[in-house]
Amino acid sequence: MSSKAFKQPASLRALSIGFMAFWLLLAAFPFLWTLWGSFKVELDFFSKADWTDALTGARTVAEKGTAFTGAGYEGAWVQEEFWRSVINTSIVCFCVVVTSLTIGTLGGYALSRSTYRYTFWLLIIALIFRAMPPITLVSGYLLPFFAWNLWGVLPTTIIVLVAINQPFTLWMLHSFFQKIPKELDESAKVDGCSQFQAFRHVIIPVMWPGVVTTGLFSFLLAYNDFAVTSMLLSKDNQTMVPKIASFLGTTQTEGNVMFAVASVVSATAPLFVLVMVFQRQIVSGLTAGAVKG
Amino acid sequence: MAEIQLRNVGKRWGSFVGVDNFDLTIKDREFLVLLGPSGCGKTTTMRMVAGLEDVSDGEILIDGQCVNDLDPKDRDVAMVFQSYALYPNMNVYENIRFPLKVRGIDPAEHDERVMKAADMVELREFLHRKPAELSGGQRQRVALARAIVRKPKVFLMDEPLSNLDAKLRVSTRAQIKNLSHELAVTTIYVTHDQIEAMTLADRVVVMKKGVVQQLGSPTDIYDKPANTFVASFIGSPAMNLIDGSVKNGAFTAEYTEITDIDLPEGPVTLGFRAEDATIAVTGQGQINAPVYAMELLGDATMISVRIGGALVSVKADKSFRVEIGETISISVPSEICHLFADKTGERIGD
Repeated sequence: MSSKAFKQPASLRALSIGFMAFWLLLAAFPFLWTLWGSFKVELDFFSKADWTDALTGARTVAEKGTAFTGAGYEGAWVQEEFWRSVINTSIVCFCVVVTSLTIGTLGGYALSRSTYRYTFWLLIIALIFRAMPPITLVSGYLLPFFAWNLWGVLPTTIIVLVAINQPFTLWMLHSFFQKIPKELDESAKVDGCSQFQAFRHVIIPVMWPGVVTTGLFSFLLAYNDFAVTSMLLSKDNQTMVPKIASFLGTTQTEGNVMFAVASVVSATAPLFVLVMVFQRQIVSGLTAGAVKG
Repeated sequence: MAEIQLRNVGKRWGSFVGVDNFDLTIKDREFLVLLGPSGCGKTTTMRMVAGLEDVSDGEILIDGQCVNDLDPKDRDVAMVFQSYALYPNMNVYENIRFPLKVRGIDPAEHDERVMKAADMVELREFLHRKPAELSGGQRQRVALARAIVRKPKVFLMDEPLSNLDAKLRVSTRAQIKNLSHELAVTTIYVTHDQIEAMTLADRVVVMKKGVVQQLGSPTDIYDKPANTFVASFIGSPAMNLIDGSVKNGAFTAEYTEITDIDLPEGPVTLGFRAEDATIAVTGQGQINAPVYAMELLGDATMISVRIGGALVSVKADKSFRVEIGETISISVPSEICHLFADKTGERIGD
């Protein structure tokens, strides 16, 4: 950055740093506000009289004796058994990621190495399915699922989420595999590998950045999905997102909204950790140096 | 140790012919170079031998065994790719060892063989580096070591030098020449560089648009090109070619009259090499034309004239000087001339 080409006048530097700081604050504000408010009571966080109550926690002090209370978390996790939703979400996410990555990796590799012209059309069809809103698929699924008594359970949701996810993972992994030069497979085959061994020994070790990135996106889709999970899961099997929505839906009881706020924070925090852990794999390109750059 | 036979081998994609009726026996321990411009089918031919490309017509035999339906791994060939194709996640040692490992060769032997191969290409101090940390020349040597570590029946090299800079290319070329002498393994080498072909080959196959133009030793191909394509492809500079006609035993073209040409009357293409012709005393040579360009090469001076649109070059002494536009006389006796038929470009006579 110290090179001459990137030299900036001090005023411009100050301006750009200021803008970055402002933008960061703006982007982080909703989360910080929610995090802060999740330790207050409902009448503070949603105060009609004075919005600063949400900051100072006047009612919280009056009701609980301190400015911060874990009542929202306790209500959500213990009373409403939010942990069940966390487990359900974990099961759904794990199964969706594993299934769609397995199919996506094998399929994407096959498509990227295929010399037939129909591969192009397969990918185009996949793109079209990807473009459709998930809810259009769900409405079609509902009736048969009721008829076959498949509605309301996790496996059904997992299958539907995989179906919605698959075109995207296939497309993304296909383009990752295309960036891995064909000479690597060919070299491995001449060196003594079968097609599968070439994939196993040579391609798998260099494909991780692509798989991790794709896996993360497919995880986020399953984790954040509302349309499918809210329509296809019974109340006992709800994952986190529909569970949060159901907290918000019952405003008659005071405090329930705070359960939602506390759950939102609980559901968001793991995402930060996840992206932090995998940021290196997401950015890196392991194939550097494989072929002449 | 293997003899490779290609029996009327062809490769087609739909109606496009990549390689047409390639028929050749490569002798045991021979170094054969496939030479031609890009898209001439030379790499396709090699890939068919490797098993990376299906054979459309004919059959390929290695050591008398038809390998058409064998997978690459079962053909016992080793290949060096133009792009090196090193395994980026493995270090140099693991890269070289990989063929031994996947072929289930006794692990006790691995270390010794890898070290021997690494020594042959002078890579010992880089064994623990990843390919990304090596220069282009070093990467190419890793690829060579990976090919020789296994002692295969056949070596295949697909333009191994074309990604290296000019200086490195010369030294690596010498290294390959030395290796091939030492290992004495049947080798097919693909290149578009005629100098590589001349220096390395026992025999050269010149190809154009999937068709073999000429097969012979480097000297054969240089001294007796089979047609105008080979003549214009081999040599630096390429052979001078002049379109003209023969009348009463003399070849005539613009500025040109060469006697003692023993051909019936009619149009013909005449060729000669720049180093065979000499500068003559004014008016005494067979070509008397204004100088188009003079280039100093260091060891010689290259004089060019334009005849009927074609550039004709002559190598003169390094101290020779002439002005552009000045008329110069070039001695082209009929003994140094090659004659090619007008339409087909085929060589006439010896």
